[in-house]
Amino acid sequence: MDVERIKFERTGGFAGMTISRDMKLDDLSEEQAHTLMELLDELDFDELPEHLLGGESESMPDEYTYTITVATQRGEHTVITGDASAPEKMQDLLRLLNRLARLRKKH
Amino acid sequence: MHRHSPVNCFVPPHILKNIATKGTASQKNLAISTLKTSERMRGQRQALSEFSAAAFRVAAGGKDRVIYDAKNGSGLPGTVVRKEGDGPTADVTVNEAYDGSGVTYDLFNDVYQRNSIDANGMRLDSTVHYRQGYDNAFWDGEQMVYGDGDEDQPAEERLFNRFTIAIDIIGHELTHGVTQFEAKLQYFQQSGALNESMSDVFGSLVKQYQLQQIASEADWIIGGGLLTENVNGVGIRSMKEPGTAYDDPVLGKDPQPGHMRDYVTTISDNGGVHINSGIPNRAFYVTALELGGFAWEKAGQIWYVTLKDKLTPSSKFQDCANETYQVAAQLFGAGSIEQQAVKKGWSEVGLTVGGTTTPPTEGGGCLEALLRMIGAAPAKG
Repeated sequence: MDVERIKFERTGGFAGMTISRDMKLDDLSEEQAHTLMELLDELDFDELPEHLLGGESESMPDEYTYTITVATQRGEHTVITGDASAPEKMQDLLRLLNRLARLRKKH
Repeated sequence: MHRHSPVNCFVPPHILKNIATKGTASQKNLAISTLKTSERMRGQRQALSEFSAAAFRVAAGGKDRVIYDAKNGSGLPGTVVRKEGDGPTADVTVNEAYDGSGVTYDLFNDVYQRNSIDANGMRLDSTVHYRQGYDNAFWDGEQMVYGDGDEDQPAEERLFNRFTIAIDIIGHELTHGVTQFEAKLQYFQQSGALNESMSDVFGSLVKQYQLQQIASEADWIIGGGLLTENVNGVGIRSMKEPGTAYDDPVLGKDPQPGHMRDYVTTISDNGGVHINSGIPNRAFYVTALELGGFAWEKAGQIWYVTLKDKLTPSSKFQDCANETYQVAAQLFGAGSIEQQAVKKGWSEVGLTVGGTTTPPTEGGGCLEALLRMIGAAPAKG
């Protein structure tokens, strides 16, 4: 994937606090960017369906809802998922994006 | 994404439910797994409610808790670490989940005569140590799930402690289960905010019941102790003064309104379910304080009957206001101080009830009569 930027938003949760970050790969350290690219490639992110939520897009009470948009030269692809429905193989990506969004909020 | 079984391809749900109820242990497990997968794929939560009640029912119909450890992974439910009747473990998180779900069971059972989440002895399953750095707790349609906060961050940067630390969070999550079996409030906009508010109301009552506090003694804080000392805040929400629980450079300011004039219209957070819940939360607080005494006795009873018998999946704030007002009349009598307290509660958040006359009930409501019989309420006249 030839990633240009990634937008990440986490909403909901017991506390109802939203965190988000719109980042270019250049904004990240070399190690962070490398890890992010690896995780996206392992997931075949482009091939994931847009809605990875249980049921009719309704969240389970208090679970987080994650919206991830990856922009490449070919366009954007967005995936929306939640705690109870995110595939196991996506957990590392969610954790990294959470951490990056939190860092931005702090600084 | 999900593990699929061949059964999923052709066996109708009603047959799977029979297997889940009557099959051998391995058959039950397979049927439940298949139903769960189908349930999540189709979004038919009603089906899940029906079968899980049967699958998790306990023979004796009493309190039955199981605590699992996810060992910082995301697989649910995880490994069993404490079952009903087992003594405390060395893990405080396990013990908090066990004790908290026990007090929640006791409140619903002893005060509202409700035997567990489904009113039929459903086992209370909790998973602790979910994922790494998971600063959340949620109800997944079958069980409670608790993260450890942001334990993976340096101590000076941590914002959240473990999510079992506050018993009202445990009561909150279990009440989502009760709502799933009763009003089935849609988790979106006002019905979703009512769903959240009901969980805060009974979560707070679980804490007050444990501490045997009267309404004026309670802190009415949701998530007290959850925020670390790095955060300027006393908890996640204040039912007494929505919007004042925290104000912090990192977390921002508590966004909850406490009045309809400040209602927040948003698409985030499922239409602001954790934001606008401040409005019905405060209505309950005002009602309970007006009545005095133990909040779970009268205000809690009115809200519980409303959740159980009156609200529907699409109910809005005004519907809840109207129904609690009517239920207060049924339980305590038209024009009773209880009904007037409910009216005041909603009035203080900008909602009017009592536009129609409620027929007087002879001798007051049935609960009031019962309380008088046992000497817990003053005689009329």
